[in-house]
Amino acid sequence: MRHVHGGIAEWKEAGLPIESAPVEATANDAALGLESRVAAVRGTSAQRGIFREAVFDLVDRLSTTHLFAAWMLLILACAASYWLLSYAGLSALTEKGKSVAADTGGLWTAIYFSFITALSVGYGDILPMGAARILAVAEAAGGLLIFGLLIAKFVSHRQDLLVRQIHAVTFEERLDRVQTNLHLVVSELLAIAAACADGSGQPRRCGPRLESTVLIFVGELRVIHHLLYEPEQTLDESVLSALLANLSSALNMMGEVMQELPRNFPRSSALNDALRTVSVLAQDICAECVPQVYADGLKILMDRIQQSARTIALHQE
Amino acid sequence: MKLEQTLRVLSGADEGFDEFSMEELHRRLGDRSLTILDVLPREAYNSEHIPGAISLPLAEVNSRAGEVLARLDAEIAVYCGSAT
Repeated sequence: MRHVHGGIAEWKEAGLPIESAPVEATANDAALGLESRVAAVRGTSAQRGIFREAVFDLVDRLSTTHLFAAWMLLILACAASYWLLSYAGLSALTEKGKSVAADTGGLWTAIYFSFITALSVGYGDILPMGAARILAVAEAAGGLLIFGLLIAKFVSHRQDLLVRQIHAVTFEERLDRVQTNLHLVVSELLAIAAACADGSGQPRRCGPRLESTVLIFVGELRVIHHLLYEPEQTLDESVLSALLANLSSALNMMGEVMQELPRNFPRSSALNDALRTVSVLAQDICAECVPQVYADGLKILMDRIQQSARTIALHQE
Repeated sequence: MKLEQTLRVLSGADEGFDEFSMEELHRRLGDRSLTILDVLPREAYNSEHIPGAISLPLAEVNSRAGEVLARLDAEIAVYCGSAT
């Protein structure tokens, strides 16, 4: 381990690159740091994809009204251009071999032609000439593109609704499962404590049992950690407080069991790893570290969780 | 053993560590075998840090060094605010 003497101040003075986004503010392990570093190296090749992403983003953000307005605007702007071309003395549009005049009637003809072109109907009763031909082709291409996007939006709207409903249902089911599993963990821990803690039981049987319980617990703890740090859906506070209360009691129970286990209790490496993860994840749960601000009751629960996690950390090898 | 040594160095009890030059650090920014450690407070890290650095504020060194540094035998370059 070596020390970068000048610190970040000299690094900046030397004009060397600085990263400002919190790539991984919590940095639970070095692997995340590595990922961000690899991403920084790959950044240049990723830039090519940025333009495409930006286009998709723009289309996503535009509402159907916007798209419809853009479509109408394109048609009317083109109609005005045809009319202005004839006004400038160029024969832009011809009907039965004669140029369309640049008067009021001519304006209506230009608008009519513009719609027929943009809709790719193309009756052929009015023909573009000269520069208007280029404009007409561009209008047809642009009009079709925007019209297609508009139709796609209408179709996807309904699908989005369905997908959102499905998400909501699975999310609720997942939360229910977290609750059930936490309950299972608590009762398993109680049973383990009763059967194995006094040393007279058979530690060979208790080891795997404790291990699988802890592994289930890690999975559910991860879900709750994720819920607090990157909430995809807003959670009802009562649901969250039930989750946290359950989590807190399970953690407490785990701390007690770890304390009561005989010294010579065989610990597999999987169990040790899982316990390590539990204490790391649970220590991240506290009122101040979580990005959102919650009600006081929730804050107390979170702090209690962190406290229990510290106790578990103390009982690790 | 390694962890204890790291903690001692990070918490300033041990002065005996070598210097890591700016040039070398710049050259090895994409190097996966090198872990860059930012011991400044988290807010400072969030506003700016050397690309790829991991945040481990001094205040949390004792409690978190073990988790943050996955491989303690790996090469580590640590930096703080300025040359003090």
